[in-house]
Amino acid sequence: MVGTDTSELNAARAALVEALVRTGDEDRDAFRTVYRLTSAKLFGICLRICADRQGAEDVLHDVYLTIWNRAGAYQPGRASPISWLATIARNRAIDWRRRQARTRAVGVEDAEAVPDGAPAQDDALLAVEAHARLHHCLEGIESRQRAAIRSAFFGGLTYAELAVQAAVPLGTMKSWVRRGLLALRGCLDGDA
Amino acid sequence: MATPDPDPDMTAAELALGVLDGDERAAALRRLVAEPGFAAEVEWWRDRLAALFADWPAVAAPAHLAARIEATLDRGAAGGAGGAANDNDHRWRTLAILASIAACVLLAVTTLLMLRPAPLPVRVPVTVTTPPPLIAAIAPTTKGAPIAAAYDRASGVVRIAGGVDVPAGRSAEVWAIRGTAAPRSLGLLPARGTARLAVPAALRGAMAAETVLAISIEPAGGSPTGLPTGPVVAAGKLSG
Repeated sequence: MVGTDTSELNAARAALVEALVRTGDEDRDAFRTVYRLTSAKLFGICLRICADRQGAEDVLHDVYLTIWNRAGAYQPGRASPISWLATIARNRAIDWRRRQARTRAVGVEDAEAVPDGAPAQDDALLAVEAHARLHHCLEGIESRQRAAIRSAFFGGLTYAELAVQAAVPLGTMKSWVRRGLLALRGCLDGDA
Repeated sequence: MATPDPDPDMTAAELALGVLDGDERAAALRRLVAEPGFAAEVEWWRDRLAALFADWPAVAAPAHLAARIEATLDRGAAGGAGGAANDNDHRWRTLAILASIAACVLLAVTTLLMLRPAPLPVRVPVTVTTPPPLIAAIAPTTKGAPIAAAYDRASGVVRIAGGVDVPAGRSAEVWAIRGTAAPRSLGLLPARGTARLAVPAALRGAMAAETVLAISIEPAGGSPTGLPTGPVVAAGKLSG
C-alpha cells in the first residue's frame, strides 16, 4: 500500500543523521543541509499551530538555533531524527501559541483545519510502518474521540480549547480524549 | 448523560499530546521528574504520536529566514553555545511582562524573577569581587557516590565533576528545578571528565540555594521536548 521504497527511506534518513552529526562539529554547511532537508516540514508545523505567519517564523528561527546548539550531543542511535526535530518544533510552537492566548484571544477555529487521515506516501524521512499502524488504530476508535485527538495533535489545543471548538462541556471532551487514548493504546499494544 | 465509569487515568498520554494546561500540566510535569515509570510512559506516547508528523503538510519556509538564522549564529559565535540564549533575551523580557497573569509553569522561573520587587541595594565591601560558588552533592537515586557540582555565580557556569552510567544510544541531561516550577535544561553531561555547562542568562536568577540539580536519562541528543522525559538518576540541592 505504501509506495515509499525502503532503500530510499534509509538513504534519506542516513543523510539527515549524518548532517546532524556534522552540525554538532559546528559545520555550517552541514547545518544548511539539515535546514534544507527539514525546514519545510518544521515550518508547516509551526505555521499550523501558531496560525500566524510572523509567529511561525520566529518560532522556526528559535527551533534552528536550538538544533545548532544541541546537535553536538546528537548520537545517530535515534531511529527517526525527523521525529526528534518535529517534536522540538511542535512544542516550541505550542509554547508560543499559549503565551499568545493569554494576551489575546486566539481563535480555536484557526487550528480547525486538520490534515485528513490519508497516509503521506511521499515522506521518506518518517517511519512508514509506525505511521500505517497508528492510522490503522486511529481508524478503529470512535469518530468524535478520533477527531478530538487529531485536533489536539495538529492544532496544539488544550482541553478547554477543544471543548469550545466542539461546543461540548469540558468534562465531556476530557472523557472523549481519555477513552480514545485508552483504546488507541490497547490497539497499538495489541498490534505490536 | 452521566458517564457511569470514571475516566481512565491517561495523564502520560495527555501530557505527550499536549492537552493539559495550568495546574494539571504542572502536576503532570512534577510526576515526570519524580516517577521513572511515568516518564517512560510519556516517552512511549511521544514516539507513537510522532508517526502523525508524516501527515503534516510541508510549507516552504520564507527565503529570508535562512539568512536571519545564519546572522543570529554569526552574532552568537563568540558566545559559543550561549548564542541562542542571548538572542532570546529580548523575548524573555517581553514574556515576563505578558505573562503577568499567567499560570504558565514553563515560564514560572523567568516570570517570578522579573516580577518580584527589586531587592534593596546590598552594601558590599569593594574588596569582594566574586560571590562564593554554590555547591551541590548530586546523589544517585540508586547507589553510588554523590557527584560534586559547583555553580560559579560570577561566570554563570556549572561544573560537574563526574558522570553517570548512560545506556548506549542515550544521553544524560542536567536540569535545574526551582521550587515547584518546571525543570529547565542546563545541557547534556559529557560521557567523561568534568562538565562545564554555561547557564543561559535567562536561567541564572533561578540558580540559587535550594534549587535542585537533577540528571535524567534522555534520548540521544537530549530531551526532544525541553522537559525531562526519562528517569531521573541523580539529584541534589544547591547550597551556599
